[in-house]
Amino acid sequence: MSVLPPITSDAIDADQIRTFKEFLINYNKVSELCFTDCVNDFTSRNVKGKEEKCAYTCMEKFLKTNQRISQRFSEFQMLANENAMAAAQKMGGKVPS
Amino acid sequence: MAQLDAQKLQLIQELEIEMMADLYNRLTTTCYKKCIPPAYSESELAKGEAVCLDRCVAKFLDIHDRIGKKLGQMTTQDEAMMKK
Repeated sequence: MSVLPPITSDAIDADQIRTFKEFLINYNKVSELCFTDCVNDFTSRNVKGKEEKCAYTCMEKFLKTNQRISQRFSEFQMLANENAMAAAQKMGGKVPS
Repeated sequence: MAQLDAQKLQLIQELEIEMMADLYNRLTTTCYKKCIPPAYSESELAKGEAVCLDRCVAKFLDIHDRIGKKLGQMTTQDEAMMKK
């Protein structure tokens, strides 16, 4: 029906949707976490200044934690990839399959 | 036939990506809980917290590998048993 090649546009869409999904998952995760850690007093329905400040600090810390974990994770992945490549090359030298 | 294989391959690749994302999500939640105490006086990561995170990531992935290997061993063992 469409004149445009459907494969490329589908690929972009799927990618964007995945990124958006990850963002939403993360959003829900921080809000749950920081709510549990920061809000413990239910004698008032209003969010107190202390609770708000705690939630913002919690969020910033969460983002920094994520950043650090992401760095370490990609380091490990790179190492694993290198090992896999080296193993494949070793195998390839003897048995080309 | 070739198209079917390509389709299967894509399914497997998608599954792999999804599993990676799931693993990563679990890793972040777990290491955050283990390393960041819920006292938010400072938004910067403390030295000890940062070191804890680094070690937590390394250990989590190490255990993930070990369990994967063990599971693989057990599955092949089970399959061998079933054949007998």
